[in-house]
Amino acid sequence: MNQTSAAALNRLHLSVALLSIAIIAFQLVLIHVLSITQWHYFAYMVISVALLGFGAAGTLIALARGWFLERSSFLLPLLMFGSAAAMATVVGITQAVFGGFDSLLLFVDPSQVWRLLLANLLFSTPFFLGALAIGLIFVQHVDQIGTFYFANLLGSGLGGIVAIIILGLLSPQQLPAVTAVFSLAAGFLILPNRRLRWLIPAAFLACALTAFNIVRPVYLSISEYKDLQRTLNLPDAGIVAQRNSPYGLVQVVSAPALRHAPGISLTYSREIPVREAVFSNGNWFGAISEWSAANTEHLLDYTTGALPYAMATPNDVLVLRAGTGMDVSHALTRGARRIVAVEPHSTVLDLLDEQYSKTMGGLFRHPAVTVVPLEPRTYLATDSSHYDLIILPMVGVFGGTAGLFALQEQNTFTREALSEMWRHLTPDGILCASAWLDYPARNPLRLAATMVETLAEAGIDNPAAHLAAVRSWGTITFCVKRSPFTPVEIRNVREFCRQMLFDPVLLPDLKPGEREHYNLLEDRSIFTYMDQILSPARQELYKTYDFRLQPATDNRPFFSQFLRWQSLPHLIRLFGERAVPFIEMGYFIVIITFFQTAAAALVLIILPLFRLGWRSGNRLWTLMYFSGLGVGFMLVEIVLIHCFVLYLGHPVYAAAAVICAMLIFSGIGSYTSSCMPIHEATPYRAAGLVALMLLLYAFLLPPILQHTITFSMGWKIIFTMVLLALPSFAMGFPFPLGLQLLARRSEADVPWAWGINGCLSVLSTALATIIAVEAGFAAVFLLASAAYVIAALAEFWT
Amino acid sequence: MPGTSAANIENRPQRVLPKILFLPFALAFLLLLFTGNALAEEEALIYKNARDRMVRTQIKSRGISDPATLRAMESVPRHLFVPETSVPDAYDDRPLPIGYGQTISQPYIVAYMTEIVQPKPQQRILEIGTGSGYQAAILAETGVSVYTIEIIPELAKNASERLRRLGYGRVQVKSGDGYFGWEKHAPYDAIVVTAAAEYIPPPLLVQLKDGGRMVIPVGSPFFVQTLMLVEKHGKETGTRSLMPVRFVPFRRAE
Repeated sequence: MNQTSAAALNRLHLSVALLSIAIIAFQLVLIHVLSITQWHYFAYMVISVALLGFGAAGTLIALARGWFLERSSFLLPLLMFGSAAAMATVVGITQAVFGGFDSLLLFVDPSQVWRLLLANLLFSTPFFLGALAIGLIFVQHVDQIGTFYFANLLGSGLGGIVAIIILGLLSPQQLPAVTAVFSLAAGFLILPNRRLRWLIPAAFLACALTAFNIVRPVYLSISEYKDLQRTLNLPDAGIVAQRNSPYGLVQVVSAPALRHAPGISLTYSREIPVREAVFSNGNWFGAISEWSAANTEHLLDYTTGALPYAMATPNDVLVLRAGTGMDVSHALTRGARRIVAVEPHSTVLDLLDEQYSKTMGGLFRHPAVTVVPLEPRTYLATDSSHYDLIILPMVGVFGGTAGLFALQEQNTFTREALSEMWRHLTPDGILCASAWLDYPARNPLRLAATMVETLAEAGIDNPAAHLAAVRSWGTITFCVKRSPFTPVEIRNVREFCRQMLFDPVLLPDLKPGEREHYNLLEDRSIFTYMDQILSPARQELYKTYDFRLQPATDNRPFFSQFLRWQSLPHLIRLFGERAVPFIEMGYFIVIITFFQTAAAALVLIILPLFRLGWRSGNRLWTLMYFSGLGVGFMLVEIVLIHCFVLYLGHPVYAAAAVICAMLIFSGIGSYTSSCMPIHEATPYRAAGLVALMLLLYAFLLPPILQHTITFSMGWKIIFTMVLLALPSFAMGFPFPLGLQLLARRSEADVPWAWGINGCLSVLSTALATIIAVEAGFAAVFLLASAAYVIAALAEFWT
Repeated sequence: MPGTSAANIENRPQRVLPKILFLPFALAFLLLLFTGNALAEEEALIYKNARDRMVRTQIKSRGISDPATLRAMESVPRHLFVPETSVPDAYDDRPLPIGYGQTISQPYIVAYMTEIVQPKPQQRILEIGTGSGYQAAILAETGVSVYTIEIIPELAKNASERLRRLGYGRVQVKSGDGYFGWEKHAPYDAIVVTAAAEYIPPPLLVQLKDGGRMVIPVGSPFFVQTLMLVEKHGKETGTRSLMPVRFVPFRRAE
């Protein structure tokens, strides 16, 4: 390598960076595409398995290191062209698989398992080829690993930025091929002067495939069970508007049979109007309401959601996650004078403002309405006003979602969120939340529990005096009032129920038999549980109920996650083993992902040992050190994204900021490490320092963020960068230092170590989710620190 | 035979050879026909047994006792209402996909919904969401007149052809938006909504007879959680949420 000219080395560094851009951008693009065609958690599973391509590359190099190194000048560009061709075509090829595949059928049709495995294999190809190239460069230039790792991390960070830019500019089907361009460029940069006879046709083929798939991309086949596809199955249905955005693909569908009236009263006798509807990534987002200032009545007057208006006429209303504005138009129709509509999906807001303002009667431009494009919690933290009514978005969907969104972080429904809302209420203000009724009861019980715990935290001794709830055939609405309900308000609630054929569920002076006048339940246990939640005995219910009912918290913000593993046998006995996965599919898929990746990782880690030997060298040291780094780095990344979502107010920007900042600062750390003299103990000290820093962050970061969340966005971005820079810079040291140390001891083990790091990083994504659900994000932070401690302690196993 | 000439008669012996050659083919054809019929009969018996087993283990054991419903479930060949690839699973205790994001419901749910609406001969029942046509066929077997509407034209066409082919001529299939019901044949003694929506269309309530029943399954495509029964009594309409599981009511784990 001494003969390699400086220019060639620079080109190689640039090539690594470009390939890293391609791989990370392709990964994000693939998540986006699969979230549209299937569901987010399925995309997550496919990607996790596909990323094992990194581990597989390490294994292969470890097995045939000499062969690869001999041919590296020819193989490197070939692998990059191969990766580009695979990126450009794999989505199209798998359409043949996904054309007949549906993740919802995974637990119904056994043949889907084979299709899934084939899909996983195909999607792992571009990652495998790309990783093989990067791994080969690392092994070949292990003496300069610091700078090459820097190029790798810098490119990965930039890949995140590239993905966000192209997600907003191009249609989803074009995106994979566009990311392939970076891989092509990486290959061209390092074309050797000889053996071009084979490389030129390969480059031409990869270019042709990439160009073809950009100009003529494949049609994306969407699951027939997704909201969008089901709506498009309606006669004469069609997509009338579309926007690409990093938040997701936004589409508006028009159909003569498309109506929206969630849980409307059986007394409603007029025609339910036809609406156009907005979908985000193929999931229902909201119907576009045709509002007019002349209206004296609103469709929502006939839903349980009208409960607060039956008691009072609020002046100042805050609508959280306002969506397409149905609750906003309802508040206006009911006489509200000031309405703040908070909705973080700015692409939908822009679309509605630019194309549907007239249809919506200028609703979002009404002088009484202020639209805030932020996460509700971020808005609440920065706002000092008080409201007569705060409306939360509806929980669940009619008939349930089969738990596909069980692991979605819902920061608006945590105990801390409701306490924050409570502080924003006027003395007689009302907090209102509705849910679809489910069976066995979960959403309504958790909502009630969250409200009661909020009241308890506010020092209310008698929560029953502050809590009202009414139920229709399909929905339940809760109202928490800051002051106790008055007799007039209680009378109005009863009159509202009588008019709408609803039943009161919670009222301060509820009489026996009142709960089931119009809507009877065969299983009345929900009432017993509601009463128990209002009593001090609710802790006992939390412990013994088959599902988790404890309120979600900022540490465990999974409002829709209810499944307790210990209840599984009981649920299987009750509903049958085939039905149970549909109670909470999202969590089941993560568990399957974890075991699938764990099994594959085990094979990939063990396989090279047949060649490298089991006993020679420091196998345990290598395993401990590089496993610790792989697990630690990924867990930190995931937990930091969670922390900064609330802080920055946008999930996409938070993810982008964290991923990019962490990778780039780690890259700088890695570069700095290349200038340091290496002693035997340096890698362990670096890992130990990171562990200590993470331990401090686990305790200090949440209060720091909480105290600075009210700062202006400019300051918050500076804070974010500073807060992320410190640990990220330090995290850039241990990996290259460790590899260099390993190279001194046993150069043949370098690819094995790199493979271990890749496998464990992938496994950690599923692990982080499971730990966050079971023990909270704080535990993930601590575990990340513990992983670095393990890496530091590896010193004692040398 | 008029017009047969003597010359033709003379030629007869020359045609014997081809006829002899044809004989084995004819015999083979007859054999095939015979064995084919025997196979078809055997297949019919296999499905009949599967159906009987389905009624015994999935339906009767969960408390369905209405004789008309049980007879219908024993008679209708469910395997002819599922896609070809799902035929081996037709009598399994689960819903099956039929395309367009729709399913054929679990046998027990079909039986439960049939029993709930209490079908009696000569009654008129409206079904919203024909799907494969299985629920309509079950209702028709109980002797009621069935009017069924399917919004997806392809499903409506297939179900209509299938029902006609299987002899369910009393079932009338319409392709259209179930929201408006089928006013021409209203009022109905019962309405079965197999494809539930987040609202109950007001025209359906109007088309339901006083004292009539409407049943709606609530849940995701592969897991029906509850059945909602709407009962109309004059101006006051009430609902009843029923649990389609045998272990009701849902209890906490001990």
